[in-house]
Amino acid sequence: MKIYIMIFLRIMLFISLAIMVFDYLRVEQLFIQMERGYIDEFSVGIIKWPGYVFISVVGLLIAAEIIRFFQVRKNKNSILSAYLTAEYDVSDERAVANTHKAVSLAFVVILTYSFFMIGSYLFIPNYFIDHIWYPMFTTASIPIVGLLTYLITYKALANN
Amino acid sequence: MLTNRVRELRARFDLTQGELADRVGVTRQTIVSLEKGSYTPSLLLAMNIAEEFEMPIEEIFSKEEKK
Repeated sequence: MKIYIMIFLRIMLFISLAIMVFDYLRVEQLFIQMERGYIDEFSVGIIKWPGYVFISVVGLLIAAEIIRFFQVRKNKNSILSAYLTAEYDVSDERAVANTHKAVSLAFVVILTYSFFMIGSYLFIPNYFIDHIWYPMFTTASIPIVGLLTYLITYKALANN
Repeated sequence: MLTNRVRELRARFDLTQGELADRVGVTRQTIVSLEKGSYTPSLLLAMNIAEEFEMPIEEIFSKEEKK
């Protein structure tokens, strides 16, 4: 359950950050278009909820990280030297081995996925004019795909 | 491939998976995987198990050639 919560929080962090950056760029782009004379006026509405989600998620992640660290330290079977983030299960040697395998696979998937994501810009050549959301969400999707690969692999190994 | 007699010895010593896990410093899930043969333990864990059952390692763990 802990791993599901941590992965969910991380994904929410990336999504809310991508939406916040997109919202900022969207307004910035309208200002630039007006400065260059492409448009005479514009109206914007700022979306507030991604900011609230982002701040809440950051708070929850910091709290989870601190709580998890003390839990790991308290558990005599834990391998503290292998602990990096709260997603990592270091409860014993098998958990550490499974975490390493899951991270390795996630790394390979991130490399492959990034390759295709960079290549996909070929098909959206005007992303910087009409689809400014594209780079934000493709970038955010890279760690999300990695996190989901990690979660699925870890769970498959843990149940083996 | 490494095979083991952990399940048999645990029954002989009348230990539950959880009790053995606590004694050798791992989670119960690790003992489950070990007994199923899906996890190859580290040398340290194998030595801890051998110590717990008061037997030499080679009497508990043995190598089996892959078919």
